[in-house]
Amino acid sequence: MKVLFLQPPMGGWVTWGKHIAINVNHAQLAANLREWYPEINIQVLDCRALGMDENQMIDAIKGIQPDLVYMGDALQTTGVAAIHPRYQAAAKLVKQTMPEVKICVGGFFYGANAPEMLAKTPEFDFVLYGETERTLPELAKELSKKDPDIPSVKGLSYRDNGEVKTTDYRPLIENLDDLPLPAYDLFPMDKYIGFNYLRHYVETYHSRGCPNGCRFCVGWTNYDPRGNRDWTHYRIRSGKRVAEEIELLVKKFGVKFVCMMDEDFNVYRSRIEEFIEEMKRRGLKVPFFFMGRSPYHLRDKDLLKPLREIGFVCGLFGMEAVDKETLEKVKKGISVDQIAETVRLFRENNIMSVVTWMVGFPDDDEVKIKDRTERIDKIDPDMTALQIMTPLPGIPMYKELEPYTEDWDLRKWDFQHAVLRTKYLSKEDLGRLAAWANREFYSQPGRVQRILYNKKYHPFCRLIARSYVETTDAHARAAVNDEIFV
Amino acid sequence: MMEREIHISPQDLLQAMQFRPGDFANIAIVSGQPQRVNMALEKLKNPVKNFSAFGYTFWTGEYKGKRVTVGNGGMYAPDAALITELLCVGGVDYLIRLGSCGALKSEIKLGELVLAESALRGDGVTKYYVNNDGFIPQADKSLTDTLEAICKKHIYRGKVWTTDALLRETKEVINNVIRQGGIAVDMVTSPFLTISQLYNKKAIALLVVSDNLITGEIGFSNIKVFDAERRMIGYAFNLVGAIDA
Ligand code: SF4
Repeated sequence: MKVLFLQPPMGGWVTWGKHIAINVNHAQLAANLREWYPEINIQVLDCRALGMDENQMIDAIKGIQPDLVYMGDALQTTGVAAIHPRYQAAAKLVKQTMPEVKICVGGFFYGANAPEMLAKTPEFDFVLYGETERTLPELAKELSKKDPDIPSVKGLSYRDNGEVKTTDYRPLIENLDDLPLPAYDLFPMDKYIGFNYLRHYVETYHSRGCPNGCRFCVGWTNYDPRGNRDWTHYRIRSGKRVAEEIELLVKKFGVKFVCMMDEDFNVYRSRIEEFIEEMKRRGLKVPFFFMGRSPYHLRDKDLLKPLREIGFVCGLFGMEAVDKETLEKVKKGISVDQIAETVRLFRENNIMSVVTWMVGFPDDDEVKIKDRTERIDKIDPDMTALQIMTPLPGIPMYKELEPYTEDWDLRKWDFQHAVLRTKYLSKEDLGRLAAWANREFYSQPGRVQRILYNKKYHPFCRLIARSYVETTDAHARAAVNDEIFV
Repeated sequence: MMEREIHISPQDLLQAMQFRPGDFANIAIVSGQPQRVNMALEKLKNPVKNFSAFGYTFWTGEYKGKRVTVGNGGMYAPDAALITELLCVGGVDYLIRLGSCGALKSEIKLGELVLAESALRGDGVTKYYVNNDGFIPQADKSLTDTLEAICKKHIYRGKVWTTDALLRETKEVINNVIRQGGIAVDMVTSPFLTISQLYNKKAIALLVVSDNLITGEIGFSNIKVFDAERRMIGYAFNLVGAIDA
C-alpha cells in the first residue's frame, strides 16, 4: 500500500506574495501513518514547493505509482475554499491517467461538507468528515486489506455503487501530545518560503479548535457537524511539546522563522508559561509568530516581555468589526478598546501587531465600512489583514449569508474576492470598498515607513509587512477585477 | 488704498512665531512630505522644535556634531516659496530639499533619483520674485557634485520643470519642456532654487522618481519609492557631514 500526500500546483493568497508553506495537515497525517502503520509506504509530492506544473505532476505520480492519493489542508490560509478547484483539477488528471488510484480529500472546508462535496465531485473517492488525523491512516490501512470494510472506518463519505454514503461520527482526539510530531523529514523543507522573502520558513499547528466559536469563523469547516460543536472543543499540544517541536525544526531543519498557525495559541495561560519556560530551558530563541485573542493577551500582558525574549516578534489578533451590534451578532467576544490596548502593549514590547478585520456582513453599507476603516486607522496596528466575508457551508452564519451569495466560482472563495452582496451593497461595491480600505491602510506614508524601517521590529516582520505593502495593487485586482491568485 | 510697502514680511512672520536669530541651524533638510521629516528627525540628537505653524513644523538638533534643521517645507510652489524664504531670512545658509518628481525620460525608473541642476519655471509664484522670464534658477554646483558622488548610482542630473498644474501635464506641454532639456517635473524646485539664489544661499534639490510621464508608470505608493525615500534621507545626512560649515 502506497499513500501519496499530494500538494498540486497552485498559487496562494495575493497579500502574501510568493508564499509556499509546508502543508501542516499532510505533515501530521504522514507522521501518524508512519507511527501507527509502519508497513504502509508514504510518499510526498509538493508540486508547489518543487515548482512543478500539471504535466510534471502527472509524470511524477506515474513514477510513484500510489494506491491512494490524499489532498487536504487544515489551514484556511492556503486559500480558503479556493483550494477545492485545484484539488479537483489534480484529481481529474490523476484519474484520466491512472483510474485505479483512489483519491481522498479532507480537512479544511471538506471536514464539514463531506457528503455534499463527494456528491459534487466525481473525481474524489473519499471525503473525510471531521478531523482527519485518525481517519486517513485507518482508511489507508483498510484499503491495504484484500477486502476493505470501508463502512467500518468512522468519519468519512464514500461511494457504494454510485451512492454517497457516510460512516459514523468520529470522536475527536483528546490529547494532541499523543500524536507524533509532524513528519518534517519527508518534506522539502529547504524549498519553503514565506511572504515573498522568508527562507527557512515553516508553518506549524500545535492546537485544534477555538473555544470562542465566532459565528463567521471558517475554522468550523474542519469539523463534522454531527459532533457537539467540535470546533469549540479546544485541544492542545503542551507547551513542553511545542518547544520540543521548535527545537527539532531549528536544530534539524535549520528553520529561521516559525509561523504558528494555531487559530488561537494563547487560550491557556499555563500553556504559554510552560512554553516560555521550556524554550528558555532549552536555550531556544527563534523568531516566531502566533495568532491569539486580544482578551487573552490582556490577561497575560506580563508574559509579553518574556515571550518577546524567546522570539515572539509578531502576533495577530482579530477584531473583525467595530460596532457593538455586529460584534455581538457574530459572537466575537471582544471590544475595540481591548484591541487598541493590545496594539499598544505589543508596540511597547516591540512586537509587530497584525489585526484582522472583515467587510461583507449582511448589514454592511458604505458608511459602516468606512467607519470601520477609520476606527482601525485610529487604533493604528502595524498591519491589518482584511478579509471579505466568504459564506462557507459549515459556519454558523452560513444560512444567514447564503441568500446574499452571488458568485459560486470557488476559485474566488478565498477572502480576497467579493462573492456576496450585502443588504445595501452590490458584490461589486463590496469588492471596491475592500480594495479601498486595504489601500487606505497600506498607503498612509507615515505608517508605511514605520512598519518597513522601524528597527525595533525584527527584520523578518518588516519583510512580512513589505509583502503586504507590495501587494496592495494586486489585492485590488482580486477584489475589484476578480483576478485569481490561489 | 494700501499705504505700507508690504503687508507681511518674512521677518514679521518669524517674529510672530517668537523666532530668535540662531534658532535655525545654518544647514536645513527640507522635505515636502511630513513623514520624511519624521525619518530625518530620527537621525537628530536632542532635537528642539523651532515652530509649528500653518501646518509646517521645524526642528533643530545635532547630527555628528553639526547643528541641522529639519522640517516640512511645502509640497507646492506657493507654500514652498513661503517656507524657503523664512529659512533664508531665519539664517539657514545651506538648503537641502528632498522631494519627488515625475521622470521625463523613459530610462529613469521609479525609485531612482534626480538631482536638479536648475529649474524651468512653470510655476506662478516665482514671477513675484523675479521679473525676467529668461531667469533660470541654479542649484549650487559644488553641493550637487558632492551629493552625486555620495549617491553613486541610479541618479540623474539635469533640469527640473516646476508646474502648478499636476493634472494639466499634457503632451504639448511636456514635449515642450523636454525640448528645453527638462528631465523631470515637480511642483517645488523652481521657487526653492529661485528664492535661495536671491538670498545668496547654497541650495540643492534631490528628488525621488515617483512616476514616469513617458512610460505612464504611476507609483505614488510603490515600495521602490518608499525605499528610495529612505535612502535619500541617508544621502542628505551624508551630505551634511561633507559640508564644511
Ligand atoms: S476567535 Fe478567531 S479563531 Fe476563534 S472562533 Fe473567533 S475567529 Fe475563529
